[in-house]
Amino acid sequence: MNGDGFIQVQDLTKVYSLGSVEVVALRNATLSVDRGQFVGVTGTSGSGKSTLMNLLGGLDTPSSGSIRVDGRRISDLSKAELALFRRHTVGMIFQSFNLVASYSALENVAFPLLFAGVAKKERARRAAELLNLVDLGARLNHRPTELSGGEQQRVAIARALANQPQILLADEPTGNLDSKTSQQIVRLLANLRAERGLTVVMISHEEALLREFADRMVYLQDGAVVSQEVVRDGP
Amino acid sequence: MRTSDYIEQAWTNLWKKKLRTFLTTGGVVIGIGALVCMFAFGQGVQRNIRDQFDEMDLLNYINVSPRHGRQPEPAEFDPDAPETYSDAVPTGEPNKPVTVLDDKFIDGLMQMEGVEAAFPEMRFPAQVGLGKEDRFTFIQVVTAKACRSGLIQLRAGQPYASDDPNEMMISDSLLRRLGNTKPETAVGQKVEIRTIILDFSLASLMRMAFARGDQRLPISDQRYTFTIVGVIERMGFGGPMPIRSDAYIPPGAAGRMRKLVLTGVSDLFQPAEQMAGHSTVTVRVASPSQVASVEAKLEERGLRTFALMDQLEEMQKGFIIVDMFLLAVGMIGVTVASLGIVNTMVMSILERYREIGVMKAVGATDGDVQRIFLFESGMIGLLGGAFGLALAWVVSFVINQVVNGFTAREGVPFIQYFSFPWWLCLGGIGFSVLVSLIAGIYPTRRAAHVDPVVALRHD
Repeated sequence: MNGDGFIQVQDLTKVYSLGSVEVVALRNATLSVDRGQFVGVTGTSGSGKSTLMNLLGGLDTPSSGSIRVDGRRISDLSKAELALFRRHTVGMIFQSFNLVASYSALENVAFPLLFAGVAKKERARRAAELLNLVDLGARLNHRPTELSGGEQQRVAIARALANQPQILLADEPTGNLDSKTSQQIVRLLANLRAERGLTVVMISHEEALLREFADRMVYLQDGAVVSQEVVRDGP
Repeated sequence: MRTSDYIEQAWTNLWKKKLRTFLTTGGVVIGIGALVCMFAFGQGVQRNIRDQFDEMDLLNYINVSPRHGRQPEPAEFDPDAPETYSDAVPTGEPNKPVTVLDDKFIDGLMQMEGVEAAFPEMRFPAQVGLGKEDRFTFIQVVTAKACRSGLIQLRAGQPYASDDPNEMMISDSLLRRLGNTKPETAVGQKVEIRTIILDFSLASLMRMAFARGDQRLPISDQRYTFTIVGVIERMGFGGPMPIRSDAYIPPGAAGRMRKLVLTGVSDLFQPAEQMAGHSTVTVRVASPSQVASVEAKLEERGLRTFALMDQLEEMQKGFIIVDMFLLAVGMIGVTVASLGIVNTMVMSILERYREIGVMKAVGATDGDVQRIFLFESGMIGLLGGAFGLALAWVVSFVINQVVNGFTAREGVPFIQYFSFPWWLCLGGIGFSVLVSLIAGIYPTRRAAHVDPVVALRHD
């Protein structure tokens, strides 16, 4: 562990207003993730895991507190700047895959490159390369409905890697998968981290699975970070 | 994101929903088709009127007549000379023409920039006799210069050499009616022209007292002999507007004749030799664009002018109102079509709500999302505009064929009732795209402001 604090979360709070009721989804969360680390975040349902993930990915903005990535305070970015942050710095993976049903695997992986202004041929070349990386080279033109859950998640991982991000955020990526496939997916993430020097933050309620691959565990309860544990020495 | 990618995305997304795209675009096709068709009809009417004016050569002429008022400074008329007429200082008798429209005036007109020909507008009724046949017609007085200016198409012989001799030109039509079908044989033949005059002589009054029928009128005739020097093509409505008679004589010869002239009531009571110039002179300019400048110069001289070009400009103002009315009617269809586009785009955005979330998660800005949907909206407009234009053309073609099929039985020549100038074609498509983009603004703004967190959870 080099302790560079690549991602620094300080007193992060997110409050949702539901009519006249205010719900505190995240309460003064503070944590730090080093470059190249694999951090597992776990907690019970409603503990604020997905809220933390959305804030780290720049999909949402905090009510208070700050997030710094590589020294840059992303919690203060404008909407357009956040879009560029999502485009170039983070890749996100979701429980329900979130693939575009009408697109082929290749088109889904090439989708982020479209917004980066990459030419059509180059998009196809890079997408095919990434699908080969996740062992789906033979399924380029299959639509999501023609793929298994594990395959769909691998397409989602390839898509998350399309713009060569520094951070991979995985929100319950194994939530819809069987245990064997879940292990394959998390192993794939761990391998990609090792091969590409990615920083991985993965949320899961499957603590045992996380502990198998994560360098560090973060425990959330009722929106607060209740404990952190170093599982093994990371890169 | 590249423009080509926006276009490809728009096309791909529309193609995925073929039926909906077809129905929405169909609405635009009908709306734009109706609008373009109506506009094309308005343009067709205007073009036909203008063409008819052009064909009859009506727009190149100015009628000039004197204003009756004070006598100007006694100066020789020079069309390019600075203004000398003044209302402020009465210098002569009242009720006398400002400028006498005499031969010197006409010579001056001919020197004016843009003027091709000038001749007095004078026609009078007469009986023309050739051999044993005679026919009633109107004789027009045209100067030798005007005859040589290309206004008259000769079939045989030549125009009279000067404005003085008792020579005439006759139309092939009148010649036929007089029994001669070979124009070349008519040249050199003598013609008797009988004019009508008012006769208040004692003999005439005595005849009136004991006569019956038309003999009771104080009129008699005068006979003059003319030689045919040229035979011309009959020019009725198809020819130049002021040249529309069957017989032409020079002004010198006309001046020596006693006659009833239709252009001025004063001619009834005034012997020709006492008349001071012509009551009206017709000026032909090289092109309709020169009418205004020549008119302005003449009016500066205190002359009254009249040109059909001015009337056409007035008519064009009326056409704008007609166009606006047709536009308003056509806009009903376009408005309905634009509501269809709004509906389609809202539906599309609701269906692709989660996809919008994915777009944002992988780095699309609000602008990217809005432009993706705006291009779809614009493409509906582009397709609708192009096919609407085609529909308008097909409908106009069918209407033209049907209407002309009926009118052809009456001997009416084929008329294009619709006109599709390039600006209408491009404008129709451009308008369709514009309306579609405007219709797309609200739904696409909604798409752009979708919260990605909510959208990614959306089923």
